[in-house]
Amino acid sequence: MDSLLSQPVARRISSVRWLPPRAGSAYTDSELYFASGSQAKHKELILWTTENPDFAAADDSPPDGRSLATPVARVAHDGGVEQIVAPAPDVVVTASSHGALGVYSVAASGADSGLALRGAAAAAHRFGNGEPAAATGLAAQPGAGADGEVASSGEDGRLVCARVARLDALERHEVDSTAVTGVCWPTAAQVAVSTRAGQVKLFDRRALGDVAAVFVDPSHACALECIAAHPSQPFRLATGTDAGGVLLWDIRSPRQPTAEAFNVHDANVWAVQFHPADPSHIVSCSEDASVAVVQWLPAPDAAQPRPVRRLASFFNALAVTCLDVCPYTRAGLLVAGSDSGNLLMDRAGLT
Amino acid sequence: MPRKGVDRFVVERDREAVVHLEPGVFPAGRQAEWSAQNRTVTFAGHPLGGGVAVAVAGKAAREQLGREVRVYEPDQRVYVWRAGAAAAAGERLAFVGDTHAVFAALQSIMEAEGVEVGIDSMLRMSALYREAMLRQVRLLQGAALQTEFVAAEIDTFQAMHAVWHLFEVVYLATNAPGLSTPAAPCFVEWLNFNFPAPPAEDGRRLLDGAPDADALAQRPGLWPYARRLALRGHTQALASVLERAAPAARLSAAAARWARELAQAGRDMPRGSGAETAGSFNARWRQWNAGLQSAAAAIRSLAVADSTGGDAAALEALCAIADIMRGDADAVAAEAETWAEMLGAILLYSEPTAQADRLPGLALVVLEQFQTTDFTLLDRALVALLSHDLPEFLVYCGQIDPWLPAHLADAMDHIGILDICRRVLSVDPRDHYLIALGEAYVAHEDTWRAGLDYLGLCRTPAGRSVLTECAVRIPLDSDRKAQQVLRACDKYGLGEARAQIHRQLGRQKWRRGRLGAAIGHYAQAADDQAIGAICDQLWAEYLESGTLAYGPVIDGVLAAGPHHHDRLRFLTRYRDFYECYRAGDHAAAAQILLSILVDETAPPHAVADLLVDSIPLLEGDDIVFTSDDTLALMRCAESLVQSPFPTTAAATASHGELSVFNVACARNLARAFATS
Repeated sequence: MDSLLSQPVARRISSVRWLPPRAGSAYTDSELYFASGSQAKHKELILWTTENPDFAAADDSPPDGRSLATPVARVAHDGGVEQIVAPAPDVVVTASSHGALGVYSVAASGADSGLALRGAAAAAHRFGNGEPAAATGLAAQPGAGADGEVASSGEDGRLVCARVARLDALERHEVDSTAVTGVCWPTAAQVAVSTRAGQVKLFDRRALGDVAAVFVDPSHACALECIAAHPSQPFRLATGTDAGGVLLWDIRSPRQPTAEAFNVHDANVWAVQFHPADPSHIVSCSEDASVAVVQWLPAPDAAQPRPVRRLASFFNALAVTCLDVCPYTRAGLLVAGSDSGNLLMDRAGLT
Repeated sequence: MPRKGVDRFVVERDREAVVHLEPGVFPAGRQAEWSAQNRTVTFAGHPLGGGVAVAVAGKAAREQLGREVRVYEPDQRVYVWRAGAAAAAGERLAFVGDTHAVFAALQSIMEAEGVEVGIDSMLRMSALYREAMLRQVRLLQGAALQTEFVAAEIDTFQAMHAVWHLFEVVYLATNAPGLSTPAAPCFVEWLNFNFPAPPAEDGRRLLDGAPDADALAQRPGLWPYARRLALRGHTQALASVLERAAPAARLSAAAARWARELAQAGRDMPRGSGAETAGSFNARWRQWNAGLQSAAAAIRSLAVADSTGGDAAALEALCAIADIMRGDADAVAAEAETWAEMLGAILLYSEPTAQADRLPGLALVVLEQFQTTDFTLLDRALVALLSHDLPEFLVYCGQIDPWLPAHLADAMDHIGILDICRRVLSVDPRDHYLIALGEAYVAHEDTWRAGLDYLGLCRTPAGRSVLTECAVRIPLDSDRKAQQVLRACDKYGLGEARAQIHRQLGRQKWRRGRLGAAIGHYAQAADDQAIGAICDQLWAEYLESGTLAYGPVIDGVLAAGPHHHDRLRFLTRYRDFYECYRAGDHAAAAQILLSILVDETAPPHAVADLLVDSIPLLEGDDIVFTSDDTLALMRCAESLVQSPFPTTAAATASHGELSVFNVACARNLARAFATS
């Protein structure tokens, strides 16, 4: 098992997301920014900066493993930060354990960095008896930036859509009687969700109230914990299961979807992502305190097992709950957060 | 025969203090009045900080309560009291995370390697524990807000490090089976690391402010500083200082010569190595020590002869240094400020080859020179450790911080020395302290998962029992947290707790209107009664609204896996009937309805409604019930009427509706016979 670098941050990190670079500076930024959200005692949204490994000199010694990133701004968050998306370099949207969506302005410029809540958070998820329901997933419409929409899912079984600029105009639809555990946008006009009942449901954005298709894999009857869409093949989805597996779905044929299972973890998979630079790899993190990278494309020799790379940190014994692979570096810089209160990183390149 | 009993283990009240909480539940000084009203308090301490939560239990005098009342409600109020800056308590999370990881790794490694080959692993893990403590000290020292609480935390972590480091010296580095390492170097290293002296800034101030030997020799702090260097075994630094001072004009030629001689002796002090035999080292040591004895005698005679000269102070200090280095107990005792310093000097200069088993005897000799009543808690813990009085050692450690005895007892258990404690204590010390720590962690929202691991890795039934009790009481704030608790139950084989948690989740989801999820959880807990109740609720909602809206609930439940519950099967079959009927497939609808009734899938209270549902099919243009089918329907109606539970069976259908059903059956029977 390979080693992840870890930095103790004294808060349980529940979400991380890289910020896209500002227009015109994508290939010149020596500093990268990402946002993290925490829960439990410290409910905070924190903006971090870290060195871009593409700009590191050849003779630079690797980081000592205890100061991977530097916090440059932080703001208290109403409720635990369950999910973060960054539709634009100066905007992040959060979904909270109270079921609220909030839009934050980001100023990512070294010492002058800042985070500020724009307007009021919008209550998106609520149970039938009025109790707030935790948000479980949040995804930004691809390619739309800050003018686009975000979709969130919650324990109340609802799928909620809203424009980033108009969070007060939420569109809510109950889509499952169990918890909806994740949401993604395969295309700008489609939304897919995963459910605790083990289903993947596909919706047309223009008719969110009607399920366009439901996919179930009867050979792997287990709850789904998260979902991610392939960056360029909208018919390919990845889901993580409560049994430690990663399922790769091909939904080209709605009547006969195929799901290939990769048993890469020993416990619940809390997040999956197609590697942005090499989508033939799926990155996942799990309750078993590890990150796994599996190559799903068939090997030339079909008899060969699919290569799986496992990464963990000795100082992290609890669940790795969130991850994000930076699409703006050559190697693909991984950042992850854990229940042990550690920020985890892999700078060597996952693939 | 055991010297100490359980009472020593649990009754150590040195640190107990009476405090009045402000704000408190009653005014200061009115405890007697308050307790006379039969009121008492329950409290829980914050696991990581100085906070206490207090709740009042008992709000009425006993005589005011009826005889049958045994328990009364506590006040619906909890008072939270925070000691100092309890907000800084969260800063321990990094330490908890790091040490929990080491603890978990240690259990796996020792399980794989076993005790015989595990000492190296223990040493590595011990270093990681110490590194976590030192990192926490650095973190606290760098905190922006330096409060009293932070200062206390720093003291606590430094004390924890001192204790753990000495434990490592005594039991891992020098006293392990098969090792014959002298204790002196390790002990002196421990002493100088944890209680550094003389302060480095003293040396810098002394040497930086003296450009030449004369200036240095004139500084009043020179000779006390040199003596402290000798006492602490900093012989190289001592040599440098003496060589720098020796050329001073105010020193006589003899004093300068002896200063140089002692500097050289400091540099030449024999150090043992693995490549050298004990005999060879002892020979070198005797030779070195004899040289120092001669030097001390010569300096002393010089000092006596020149007792009033300008060299008197220098000669006296050089004599003291020579005496300390030759291991003179009186000279060491005169210079040492603490028992640890004295023990270190004696080990270094008198017993350089002594091994850890000599430490209790030497410690006893040293402690006779000190007033043990003035000892701090840390001193007592260290002395107990050196004396191999492990039960007492653990007790004192528990008073320093609950983290310490839990991890020390675990380490002792791995290296096989905890059985000493087990012989004199009525509880297993490892599990006792792990349970205490685990319970504290479980109560905190940031550390509950680590707490479950500490409880889960106990080996006695008590640990498992506490784990079960704690697991079912963890607040299930979110779906993910619930999954994590259930996963922990799986990991530690808590089947009963798992079922109980599923029942809690089922109740929670039911209350929130998430009926599909509720059925799923109740199914995991095999609670058929609750599933039946939810299904009845769905059926009642359908009857009330006339719209079958439970389809998605059933779909969600069935998608998660097959469920074999009668009511679920009934609702599913009825949904099929409903959809066939709505689609105009009356023949299929009729067969489904008939099978529901004949197979007794339907609950008794739904039979009447199902019979009423059959009326439009019986009266339809097409004959969808054969004569046999119709007779079967009539038998169902007959059973319903003759049911011994008429209130539940026929209540939902009015007498008129059943009459219509009877007529419809008769007509359909006639039509069916005619057709056949």
